[in-house]
Amino acid sequence: MKKMPNKVDVPSVKSVISKHEGKAGSLLSILEELQENDVHKHLSEEILMQVAQKAGIPLSQVYSVATFYSFFNLKPQGKHTIVVCRGTACHTRGSRALLLESAAQLGFTDFVEEDESALTTPDRKFTLRTVACFGQCALAPVVAVDGTIHSHVTPGKLLKLIQKIQKEESR
Amino acid sequence: MSRISIKIDGTPVEVAPGTTILEACLSTGIAVPTLCHLRDVATNASCGVCVVEVKGGRSLARACVTKVIPNMDVQTASPRVMAARKMAVELLLANHPTDCLSCSRNGSCELQSMAERLNVRKVRFPSTRKAVAKDETSPSIIRDNNKCILCGRCVAVCKEMQSVSAIDVAGRGLRTHIGTFMDRGLKHSTCTNCGQCTVVCPTAAIVEKDETDAVFKALQDPSKVVVVQTAPAIRSSIGEAMGMETGALVTGKMVAALRKLGFDRVFDTQFSADLTILEEGTELLERLTKGGTLPMITSCSPGWISFIETFYPKLLAHLSSCKSPQQMFGALAKSYYAEKTGIDPANMVVVSIMPCTAKKFEAQRPEMQSAWKWWKQKGQKGVAPYFDVDYALTTRELARMIKNVGIDFSRLEEQTFDDPLGQSTGAATIFGTTGGVMEAAVRTAYEVATGKPLPNIELTAVRGLEGIKHAELDVGGTRLKVAVAHTLKNARILLDDIAAGKSEYAFIEVMTCPGGCIGGGGQPILPDRKKREARAHSLYVEDRNMPVRKSHENPAIAALYKEFLEKPLSHISHELLHTHYAHRQM
Ligand code: SF4
Ligand code: SF4
Ligand code: SF4
Ligand code: FES
Repeated sequence: MKKMPNKVDVPSVKSVISKHEGKAGSLLSILEELQENDVHKHLSEEILMQVAQKAGIPLSQVYSVATFYSFFNLKPQGKHTIVVCRGTACHTRGSRALLLESAAQLGFTDFVEEDESALTTPDRKFTLRTVACFGQCALAPVVAVDGTIHSHVTPGKLLKLIQKIQKEESR
Repeated sequence: MSRISIKIDGTPVEVAPGTTILEACLSTGIAVPTLCHLRDVATNASCGVCVVEVKGGRSLARACVTKVIPNMDVQTASPRVMAARKMAVELLLANHPTDCLSCSRNGSCELQSMAERLNVRKVRFPSTRKAVAKDETSPSIIRDNNKCILCGRCVAVCKEMQSVSAIDVAGRGLRTHIGTFMDRGLKHSTCTNCGQCTVVCPTAAIVEKDETDAVFKALQDPSKVVVVQTAPAIRSSIGEAMGMETGALVTGKMVAALRKLGFDRVFDTQFSADLTILEEGTELLERLTKGGTLPMITSCSPGWISFIETFYPKLLAHLSSCKSPQQMFGALAKSYYAEKTGIDPANMVVVSIMPCTAKKFEAQRPEMQSAWKWWKQKGQKGVAPYFDVDYALTTRELARMIKNVGIDFSRLEEQTFDDPLGQSTGAATIFGTTGGVMEAAVRTAYEVATGKPLPNIELTAVRGLEGIKHAELDVGGTRLKVAVAHTLKNARILLDDIAAGKSEYAFIEVMTCPGGCIGGGGQPILPDRKKREARAHSLYVEDRNMPVRKSHENPAIAALYKEFLEKPLSHISHELLHTHYAHRQM
């Protein structure tokens, strides 16, 4: 069998559960910690099933919680995340162009925007996402790259940011 | 406790503390409209149709969840209220398909009748929802989220009544929907196919899988011999489904309607219910005397079987090995009856009329091909495998067929079942209600074990709609404790006791649905306690009027043992009438 990397110091599902069990909102905390521990920052079907079984919560309820909160990812996430705000302020200041430019640069050729789009490149290097509103409307349009908020973004600025990461990654 | 004085539309009203505005209004004859609310089932106040104006309140109040307080001044039909109600329904309609005319709930849909009642004639809002695929994975139930209004009733029954939680609200925002784990579909969830969600859904978002077309086709095929069996509970619910009063007892009319529909033989599942009593009763006595696994639990209810196979696989040995009456019937029709009459079993189509959606699933369990195996063992070769039961239709589907061909049901002359698989006893009739299998089993087991007639044939301790019932019986000096549970939540309580080694019972009856089969998931929609009581009452009336009321006194069953099965639990009985269970993993 192939040796699994990253398994050594990741706490087991069971220990994460027992850490939070009994406290208010424990399912949320359990899922949050498990997602944080995951290499691809997501909750796999397997993990959700383990949580349900070990915590004695119906599967449908675990799924309900995992799909209700936008900070949970059910799909593996890229190493780098680009989040484009699609709130009204950002929209009127051109965030749709930012989204389309990034999609093209990352190779999503037939990209169609949906509410809460989230796409990950096949090499799992990048995830491109939209949010309904960052709450930073004064700085519109806003884009978060790997957690850093960039304000008054132009397509040119954003392309440079993405290209820079792409160059580092291909080295 | 002192009563609270409030005013409803200017009229003073006195109600008990803790009453909701809705209940207060209903008690004075004001029918505040409700859509999501369903008494004893769901109160998550999501639709906003029940709003009323409370003097001094800034926003409108939802009557279904707002409790009255002293001196409340309620307006139930102010212009503001009427506009808000209409808007609530319009918003639902904006995202709703417009195919009422070809919808299976056309005429029985609460959304449709609410739109009519509130005089909604146009929808001012654009649709914001995208069409989604139906969930057609289950052999019993089809879910169509396009028609879902997110009232939450289905989630509530699945969780609160059945303790199954196969479905829940999933997603957020515009994508909020009712779904199974990972949206894999009901078949790949813990769903027991009980169908309780289908009887509470206000719209066509959850319906039984309709097989009436296939049955019509079989009826029209001259090469087929189409045999029908009717479950005990149908005789007190099909009349209701055809517009007669709730609980109308219509055994003879039902038989006549089935003949009119063209069924070649009209038989009764009650025949095999009597047979179940002999097999199961003997099994119980064997377990008691030879030290088998106790308590023994009944196995007639297929939703219950899926439930224990999914959630309590370690307790499977407690189940009786008896097949359900539906499956015993199918196996015998295509072996015993086919052989006796010279009908080619491969040409026989067995249709069952069941109060149940899980029966569709049960009929398709791969092990339910006993007659085919039996013929094969007798040397028959080259015949493709067939199921013992070909189609299991619900009460609602039968009603649809009767309406379809234009039979005026209430005016039909009464007829009687065909022989011999149509002969039954009062004990079999009460199988259709919670406690009935237990009572029927006691009537026989007592007499078989003691050789003496039972002093009191009616076991009232296990009658009625209480969730878990108990009785203690004296069987020839031995005291036996028995219990009866209906709904899976109550079954779970008894199972947890068994798992903890605390169960004091010898025999337990479990039925999946509230009230037993009379409250089944295939029964007329929107049941409530009163309807269940009326249907159950009719079955007890029928039992009283039957000439024979004990299963072991059914002459057709005696003949069956003499001619074919030899004795209960014989080798051939095991082949045709008994089954096995397995851990159901998702
Ligand atoms: S569910 Fe009701 S409102 Fe919707 S299409 Fe069917 S009948 Fe019409
Ligand atoms: S059929 Fe029964 S178990 Fe399945 S989803 Fe509906 S209520 Fe739940
Ligand atoms: S499927 Fe039916 S019962 Fe369930 S939430 Fe939707 S409309 Fe209500
Ligand atoms: S009936 Fe009260 S909110 Fe739906």
